Amino acid sequence: MLEPGVIQSRGFRNRSEGGRITGFQVRIRTPYYRGIWASLLEGADVIVDGEKFDREKIRWTIGDRTLTLPELEAATDVRWPFLEPAILTVPKLGGLTVGMHDVSVSVALRASYFPPAFGPWITKAERKLALVA
Amino acid sequence: MTAKFKLGVTLYSYTGDFGTTMTLDDCIADAVDAGAKGIEILSETHIAGYPNPTDAWVEHWHGLMAKYKVEPICIDSWIDSRLRKGRTLGVQESLDFLLKDMALAHRLGFKVIKPKLGVISDDLIPDPVWREVMERALPTAEKYGLTISPEIHAPTPLKSKTVDDYLDLIRKTGTSYFKMLIDTSIFKTREGRKLKPGEWADPILAINPRDLIPYLPHVSLIHAKFWGVADDLTEGSIPYDKVIEALIECGYDGYLSSEYEGPRELYAGGDQIRRQFAMINRLSARG
Repeated sequence: MLEPGVIQSRGFRNRSEGGRITGFQVRIRTPYYRGIWASLLEGADVIVDGEKFDREKIRWTIGDRTLTLPELEAATDVRWPFLEPAILTVPKLGGLTVGMHDVSVSVALRASYFPPAFGPWITKAERKLALVA
Repeated sequence: MTAKFKLGVTLYSYTGDFGTTMTLDDCIADAVDAGAKGIEILSETHIAGYPNPTDAWVEHWHGLMAKYKVEPICIDSWIDSRLRKGRTLGVQESLDFLLKDMALAHRLGFKVIKPKLGVISDDLIPDPVWREVMERALPTAEKYGLTISPEIHAPTPLKSKTVDDYLDLIRKTGTSYFKMLIDTSIFKTREGRKLKPGEWADPILAINPRDLIPYLPHVSLIHAKFWGVADDLTEGSIPYDKVIEALIECGYDGYLSSEYEGPRELYAGGDQIRRQFAMINRLSARG
């Protein structure tokens, strides 16, 4: 079972590549009421303790696929199922410190049944998360 | 007069709980305990492995229907016209999505499919591909005994180009496999919720529920939309007394599919469905 909010406790951690910490990961369930094709997504902006991380640099892992933003927007054959959280990998050399962090994630997606003038539908989720190690 | 309609639940009502506190089995058990005789699901939400569920999952689904003595009433489907950034889907691409979900609907035993169409305007005029898509899907609908039913939902009133166009399709093709799903949001007479700044609310159309009567031959299902039933068994936004009175008077014998759209607080869905069913049953008993 998942936590009710978009941002999940599980999966919040620093990410190491080649022996050094290159960023961190946040795990999110969909803010939508249904699963979608990944190409409907227009990315997610992440803010941690006031520091903003633009969607252009964030990679999405959905199932066994890890996608850059342009790859995500072209992924008409990749499903983001309702019950399967995605992992956002955010670049930040040295990562985040152990302890509590204020985390915000804004997911943007296209809902075809909203008036086109609305533009992408953006939902913002915020919570405190503990980074353990 | 006595009510001839049947009560059902769309599992959308459990959005806050599904995957959080409840499994699919839990949602169905809860809806049946509340009094539902029919179940509506969202293809993309409730079918594990959508769009290609395993045979084992499909067998489990039929097992749930048998175990709880409940029937599949409607499956919700989406034609995501904006699937690709920069251009909308053409007729064949849209049709492919619809046909795939229709095959799935048939496999799961549904008799009604609600395709959510992409729109092109502020007043929600459907993308013009809809007509050819529907016409080309009709032979499959007939083969499966499956009625394609786009939803009429606020801000679209009954007297609208959208409804006129749907009726025109029915008239010109003579089909009985294309109907409308009516959402009771069109009967909303007041804003019963305290809205947060910038929060979307369905506009108030205040259509008289009796105005629906002439359209009923072309209605496959009614969504009993609500945002909250209070302790005195009234809904803050929709005059259910008048809705139920009109449905009893015209002898509507289809389903009211309960759709809770209030705050997604944990355990709210199950509680609110029971309140709504109590309200409807009390109003029905007045006759």
